[in-house]
Amino acid sequence: MIRNFRELYSYRGLLLSLVQRELKARYRGSVLGFFWTFLNPTLHMLVYTLLFSVFMKNQIPNYAYFLFVGLLPWTWFSTSVSAGASSISDRRDLMTKVRFPAQVLPATVVATNFCNFIFSLPLMVVLGLFFGVKPSWHIVAFPVVVLVQMCFTFAVVYAVSAFNVTFRDLQHIVMNLMMLWFFLTPVLYRLSTVPEAYRRVLQVINPMSILITSYQALFYEHRLPDVVPLMSLLGVSVCLLWGATQIFESRREEFAESI
Amino acid sequence: MANSPTEDAIVIQDVVKNFRKRTIRGEYTTFKSELVRWLRGNRTSNQQGRFIESLRGVNLRIPKGQTVAILGRNGSGKSTLLKLITGIYTPTSGSITVNGRISALLDLGAGFHPDFSGRENILINGIILGMSRTEVRAKMDAIIAFSELGEFIDEPVRTYSSGMYMRLAFSVATHVDPDILIIDEILAVGDEHFSKKSMAKMTEFKRLGKTIVLVTHDMSTVERWCDQAAWLDGGRIRRMGTPAEIAADYRQAVSLAEARSTVFTPPALTAGGGALPGLPEGPVVTDAPKPAPQVAVTRVWLTGPRGEELGTIAPETRAEVCIDYVAREAMADVEFVLTLASADGPVLYATSTRTDRVPLPTPLPPQGRLRFVLPRVGLLGGAYVLSVELKTGNNANPEAGREARCSFSVSTEHDDRGVFRPEHAWVVEEAPAAPVQAVSVPKHAAAS
Repeated sequence: MIRNFRELYSYRGLLLSLVQRELKARYRGSVLGFFWTFLNPTLHMLVYTLLFSVFMKNQIPNYAYFLFVGLLPWTWFSTSVSAGASSISDRRDLMTKVRFPAQVLPATVVATNFCNFIFSLPLMVVLGLFFGVKPSWHIVAFPVVVLVQMCFTFAVVYAVSAFNVTFRDLQHIVMNLMMLWFFLTPVLYRLSTVPEAYRRVLQVINPMSILITSYQALFYEHRLPDVVPLMSLLGVSVCLLWGATQIFESRREEFAESI
Repeated sequence: MANSPTEDAIVIQDVVKNFRKRTIRGEYTTFKSELVRWLRGNRTSNQQGRFIESLRGVNLRIPKGQTVAILGRNGSGKSTLLKLITGIYTPTSGSITVNGRISALLDLGAGFHPDFSGRENILINGIILGMSRTEVRAKMDAIIAFSELGEFIDEPVRTYSSGMYMRLAFSVATHVDPDILIIDEILAVGDEHFSKKSMAKMTEFKRLGKTIVLVTHDMSTVERWCDQAAWLDGGRIRRMGTPAEIAADYRQAVSLAEARSTVFTPPALTAGGGALPGLPEGPVVTDAPKPAPQVAVTRVWLTGPRGEELGTIAPETRAEVCIDYVAREAMADVEFVLTLASADGPVLYATSTRTDRVPLPTPLPPQGRLRFVLPRVGLLGGAYVLSVELKTGNNANPEAGREARCSFSVSTEHDDRGVFRPEHAWVVEEAPAAPVQAVSVPKHAAAS
């Protein structure tokens, strides 16, 4: 794992350039340019707000803001995983023609989506101010939550991208799984509305629920996230990451041949 | 890493490379296919015959500073070998040691993005090829200048013509400044002007003492450029030697295979690696048929100005063709026929002792030598084959072994083209002068 990341670090120039290019490519040619970063989550937010706040009349105050707090990190995770799945198998041109550390490709996807996440944070703050929610000092814990999510996302993306080289339909399966996962994660609803019996299970089997509730604690509830689940998730994520890099390293020799 | 000049740049030892058959056929495993197979109860995947042997034990040493060509028919494993050297593939067994920074031109324009300008793509492509960001930025202007794209450099690459695209890609690739350059069939890029420029760039690489490994099917490139050639056949290095020798052998083997109407199947899928038929051993065909011929040319070779045996010769030097023969039975009406052909077939010149009215002793002594003296070679750079046949009057059934041949190459720095190089001199005059008096033609001295 250490070697994998050291290699990644030595190719940071490449990683940086690729991320830059991805970001530029996404917004190039569109009239609104960079504001697409904001548009996408805003539209999502509007749809869900209409659905849950107007039609279904749920009782969460400032629902649009609450939704946004959970939606942004979720988008980072889900787009990383679904785009990361095909990150290696789609780049045949690079993998078979140039000596190239394969982990740069999934890392680029994670990093690009991370940038998008960071860039859309100001919009979240502005929306909060609109609802009269001011950020509190608790946001100092924000980098810790981000770090945990980073580890977890890397682990999932590494494993998925490596497997997708041999099992090409994984990327389609992943898309559907992400949809299911989304509804199992307290983005649209509060964890406290889940019946007591399931709540524990949901927290244990779904690491994303711990992360999303942590973000909600920071930005919506103005408190520090629960330390025990978050820290145990950090431990689990590092273990997962170790496992994922092992899988990645053991399959990597086949990448160029199987693509 | 010692910096002794004798160190090898690349050492390949017993390298074997197998591919899974499904990889070659482009079949992907999917969960669906696995499930279907499992439902059919077909869990025992046929283990035998699952692998394809692409390389079956390659041993190759590439010395530092040499330009080495790898020849072989399509699918003989040349590209696989290059990818192994580059590190894109890992060998199934065996080892590859590379001393020095390596840059591979296996494909031009790796990672080019059509929506980005030439300049932005140079950055990405350069980094992908192994340069650092600062390095690319420093070389940016040189790369742009070399590509001759001018203002187009700031236009998106998708608006480029394919020639422009290749020029840009080639420019980046050649500015990487590696110790070892790996090239797969991409020397001829762009129009004549640009391909000359790329050739000049390659020559510069050579001059700087870089090691170049080259795969190409263009024999004239091989012979003009390379110091050595390796012939990859049936998954092994069949022969390594001077480019002229190897090219001649290779051509001969291919034509032999064609003559035997060998079916050209993908080598890796063929038993025995699909090797081309073997040639009679050695560059000089001397092995006698079972009953030793009574009358035969036993050996033909080329000597240089000082009488030394040569395989490569300059166009302006003196040369002699030495012809050894045996004539164990008294023969009347003997004729030696000498044929000079370029290595790819066409006969350039043929003459015989009868045509030239050479008085031969009758009867021929039982053993002897003829010398065919060329005051000046007068050929263009390239590979040639000399063959000498002994004909007799009672030549009812020409036996094999009466003929002997040798191949040689002419190396020159001249860029002249055509069939032969006549003795010539240029005379430059100020104004149209009075009728040219007999200009005493000086001996052309360029090559000596």
